[in-house]
This record gives sequence, structure tokens and C-alpha cells, in this order.
Amino acid sequence: MSFRGEAAIIGIGELPTQRTTLGRSMPGLLGDAARLAIHDAHIKIEDVDGIITEGGDTYPAFVAEYLGLRVRFATGSSMMGASGATGVALASMAVMNGLANYVLVCIAQARNPALGGGAEGFPGHGSEFDFPYGPAAGANNGYGQIYQRHMELYGTTQEQLAHVASNQRFNAQGNPNAVFDGQPITHQDVMDSRYVNYPLRLLEVVMPCGGAAAVIVTTAERAAASLNKPVYVLGGGIGLDDFGGMQKPEITVSPVARSAPIAFNMSGYSPRDIEFAEFYDCYTILESMCLEDAGLVPKGEIGPFFESTDTTYKGEFPINTDGGQLSAGQPGLAGGFRHVVEAARQIMGKAGVRQIERNDLGLVNG
Amino acid sequence: MATEYKKPVPRPSVNPEVSAPFWAGTKKHELWLQYSKGSQKFFFPPREVSPGDLTPMEELVWTQVSGKGRIYSYTTIYQPAMAAFAEEAPYVHALIQLDEGARMVGNIVDMTEDEVRNNSLQINTRVEAVFEDVTPEWTLVKWRRIED
Amino acid sequence: MTYGDGGGAKKAGKKASAEESSYNKPLPRATLNPEVSKPFWDGTKKHELWIQYDRRNNKFVFPPREVSPGDLTPMDELEWTKVSGKGRVYSYTMVYQSVIPAFNEDVPYVNATIQLDEGVRMTGNVLGLTEKQKTNHELRSNQRVEAVFDDVTPDWTLVKWQIIDDEEPPAPPSKE
Repeated sequence: MSFRGEAAIIGIGELPTQRTTLGRSMPGLLGDAARLAIHDAHIKIEDVDGIITEGGDTYPAFVAEYLGLRVRFATGSSMMGASGATGVALASMAVMNGLANYVLVCIAQARNPALGGGAEGFPGHGSEFDFPYGPAAGANNGYGQIYQRHMELYGTTQEQLAHVASNQRFNAQGNPNAVFDGQPITHQDVMDSRYVNYPLRLLEVVMPCGGAAAVIVTTAERAAASLNKPVYVLGGGIGLDDFGGMQKPEITVSPVARSAPIAFNMSGYSPRDIEFAEFYDCYTILESMCLEDAGLVPKGEIGPFFESTDTTYKGEFPINTDGGQLSAGQPGLAGGFRHVVEAARQIMGKAGVRQIERNDLGLVNG
Repeated sequence: MATEYKKPVPRPSVNPEVSAPFWAGTKKHELWLQYSKGSQKFFFPPREVSPGDLTPMEELVWTQVSGKGRIYSYTTIYQPAMAAFAEEAPYVHALIQLDEGARMVGNIVDMTEDEVRNNSLQINTRVEAVFEDVTPEWTLVKWRRIED
Repeated sequence: MTYGDGGGAKKAGKKASAEESSYNKPLPRATLNPEVSKPFWDGTKKHELWIQYDRRNNKFVFPPREVSPGDLTPMDELEWTKVSGKGRVYSYTMVYQSVIPAFNEDVPYVNATIQLDEGVRMTGNVLGLTEKQKTNHELRSNQRVEAVFDDVTPDWTLVKWQIIDDEEPPAPPSKE
């Protein structure tokens, strides 16, 4: 059993990523992103009969009420930054099994200091066993440790991974939705940026932002009649790792090592067939280890890969063609979802100046 | 006086800026709702998009409405969730269908205790908004029965 | 949202002394279950490292839990056991900008993951690096370290780590 080719994305919506979304709420942003996706799909709002939201602050029952949707399928997808990509896999399962015809997957992040925000951290062991030792902010601390270990195990250098940031910043100059559109940087700028925590430099770290994205997922049968080029979902896997990560067997290996083989098996394709990649990139090191774990680059060889490969939208293997989160900004819960939207946009041929030519088969890690 | 009012005052948690015109209206003892040009309908509570047609915020027009409507349904509360309401129990907590279409929640004032205890209130009873200045900052909308 | 209620010290009814209030960095705040981790902090006050041991599966467990991870052995079979306090640097980051303002007086400093010889990993600071060693990021994985105990307040003792020279192989988990 698989959902290979059974479901497709037929509409996408994305709000510009912004440092703050003053005056806007999560459900309000969801409404705007949903409207864009529904219009893009050329369907009527009444056609939407399923909804997937992040499920925490934007729980489906409230979002459906706020948007005035009458649905027969709904669920949350509470996977932090991966909520949207996970939601697309869930939506695919729903439509292929007849639970709904058109599922709206919509994820938002408001960023408005006046309304408060998620600065209190997550329940867990951190406040007792980590905070007393002075961690760097958010996930910076853990990714600093992963980065340091990857350097020692494989000889990866900061110079190599700085290409991730500078290449993606180039891509963002073709993306009006990117928060760093109009602010190009060079490889040397990355290397000259200050340490937040060694080995992580400031320009290798994502900037928290607000924003929202939405897609419409439907059955392959209905998608065939779409005015858009359908973006068929050929395979997917949903992996999960320790949140804290302290006791992981090997911190330089991501859950992509488990989810990617499932996705590839389902799809019938292999890593060498992939034409472009849209990969979660809260940090240069996270994107790098995930590209390895997906099998696109052998484990430990990501450094030389970035040294020798043009990964811009003009290059031989484009990665994060919209600038990724590093250069478009990280809209919180919608962070990983942007990668899904950009992959769909590229496949539909709607990416404008940053449109890639080989756009039939992409791999997304959201 | 603000210090004497023990019950909860409105605490906008979704988006205070969006609902501010509603509360500015009640302070003037007027009922203002958002009107969606897209769907040509009124809706409530206030939103950044209109429900059902997702008309964007800039096409939503704050409009003063009649303040008249009908009882859509109600419940008689004997055991309130919040202690501050206990001394008033039993009382009526109703859904009001405005003539303009949107529905609101509110209390029915001017009912005798017998009327309340006998559940004598009927669905479709005509009602009209009344405004109660519970604190210097906040005016709540409540409802009284009318004959029209 | 709020998580937890301020943790062990509050639960134990301890009062902040003048000395305690002069320590301006975060103290351990148990948000999950202060009762379960109490033996760990009782141990550090005695300058000893105590860890839960899952006899059924012959492995140590950290952070403290009500079931052992992976096999869900119940709490009454998890034995608090004093361990060697020796281990190796698994990985680390040199913090230049902390999320907690009080730590910014100390930057740069080492925030490390320590792999105990008994198998589990802990977070902690590695002490004793020279300014030059810090600047050049000279700390390496597998560096042998030993627990030292920092009585930061009358109520709380944190575990930190100092570099040692012993090159004993890691001890396997005790069968005893």
C-alpha cells in the first residue's frame, strides 16, 4: 500500500515572509494563505472538504470556524517545523482513501511581540538539565554540537558549509517573498560573520519570522483536470528523533536516514534521479546532514559537495531555489512547509526568474 | 467603578486590533459589525478574512447594524463556570440571531426569576441590544425582549 | 502556556537565602516530575554522581525518568546508582551569545555533551580551558573529563567537568 501517484498538489499559496506580522493573527494569516491556494487551484471555497492545520494554537476546529469551512475531514499535524510537509503526506492518505476530495493544508506563524509568542520553550528536561549550563538560544546549541562533531568525524569545514548560506542568498534575490530579497551576501560575508556559538556563525543561522503557506491536495483523478500542472506526490516518509537529542546514538545523523528510504521505495525512484532539492535549513549543518541522510550525497562528503557544486537555481543541482529558510526567513511553524510550496511552484513552472529547467522530480525535506 | 466589577471583561486573544472597532462601538452604545463585500453578508466575531469566502480584511467594512434580532436558542445557567456569576444564577445565556444574519452570544436582561426558572423564554422572541457600561473601559452588549 | 510550577526547590519548601539570590544564572527547574529527579540533585549536593540504573536491561538512564527509555522498565525497577563521574567529551559548542543574559559575562565558554563511561550522556560546562584554547577551539571529542561539583547556592550543586589525563578505557555498564 502506498500513495504513489494517488494524490497531487494543485494549488499553492504563500505570504511574504516578514520579520514581524504586526496586527495579524495566526488564523488571519491562514485565511490569506488559504485564499491564495484555493484561487491558485481554480476551485471554489465550498469544494474544500478537508483541512489540516498545525493543531496546536491553530487547532482545526477553530481554524475551520474562523475560515467558515464546512469540512468532512480534519486533523492536526503537530510536528513543529515539519507540520506542513507531514500534513501533505496525511492529506494524500486522506484523499486516496476517500475521506475528502480537496484537503486544505495550511500552516501559519504570527510574529507579533504585542500578542506574545512561543518564547517559553517546550515541556521537557531542558529547564532542569540544560539551562543551568548556559545554552545558546533555541536550537543553536544543539546544532553547534552537531556541527563540531561533523567537522571532527568527516573533516567538514566551515568554509565548505558557508556556501550553503551564500548560494541560497543568491537564490533569494529572485524571490520577492524572501525577507532577505535585496540583501545579497558573499561567501566571505558568511565567513566574516560573528560566532553565535562556535562553529555556528550568524549567517549560518535562520532568522525567526512570521508568514503562512497553504496547499490544496486532491486525488490524482481530479488533479488530471486541473488547470495547473499537477504536482504528484510520489512517495513520503515521516521520521522523528529525540527532541533534546542528548542521548541520540549519533547526533550527526538525522531522522531523514529513516524517512527518505521509505519515500524512495514508495516512489520507485532513487536519489540519483532527483533533479532538485528543497530541504529544511534552519542551519547550514542541518541541511547538510539531511542531504547526506537522504542519500543525495554520501555520508561525510557534504563539504566537498558544496565546494564543487553550484547549488543556485542556475547551477547543476539546485537546492532551496527560493533562498530556503536561511535567506527567505523562517516563518516558525510554517518553516518547513515553504519547501513543499517552492517544490510545487518549480514543478508547476511558476517560479519566475528563479525557474529551474529540470523541474520534473524534486525531493523535499520539510 | 472598574474595581467593583468582579466578572470577566472582554479579553481579546485572537487579534485585539481587529475587534477594537466592535468594542469602540459598544462604548458609544452602538452595534457595529464587519460586512463582507465579497459575500454581501455580515459576520461575527470579527476576523481578518470573512468566513466562507475568505474576503481579505481590506474589503471588510465596519457597519452599524440595527441591534435587533431574535432568540435563536438559549440555556438557563444554574451552575456558572466562574464564581463571580454564582450570585446571579439562574440566568439566561442566549444565542441571538441578528436581523442582519450574524449570531451573537449574550444575556437576556429584564427577566423575572420566575420567568427564568420556568424557562418561559421562547425561541424566535424578538430582542434588541442594550448596552451595559460595566467598567469605564468596557461596555457589554446584552439583550431585552421587544414587541415589534 | 505555562509548564510546571517552578520545580524542586519550591516543592521542597526551601527559601531563597541571600547567598542564593546572588547567583543570577538559572537553577535547575524540574518541569516534568521533580520527585523523580530529586535523588540526582541530592547526590550532587554530596558531590556524588547518581544515575538511574535499569537492571533488567543492564543500562543506565539519564535524564531521570519514570520508565526507562526504549524498554519502558517501570520506575520501581530503576535503581539509583553512584557512578564514576568519568567520561569523554562527545561534542561541544563554544558559546559566544547565550540565550540567558547572565551567561554573557562568561562568554566564550564551553557547553558540552559528556558521554559517561557508564554510557549515558549529560550536558555540562567544561572548565579550565585557557583563553588561547578557547580562541582556537582546541577542545576535541573524546577528551577525558571528570565531574566536579559547583555549589552554586546552598540548595543547588551543579555538575561541571574538568579535563583529566587518565586514558582508562570506558568501563562497561556494571553487571552488579
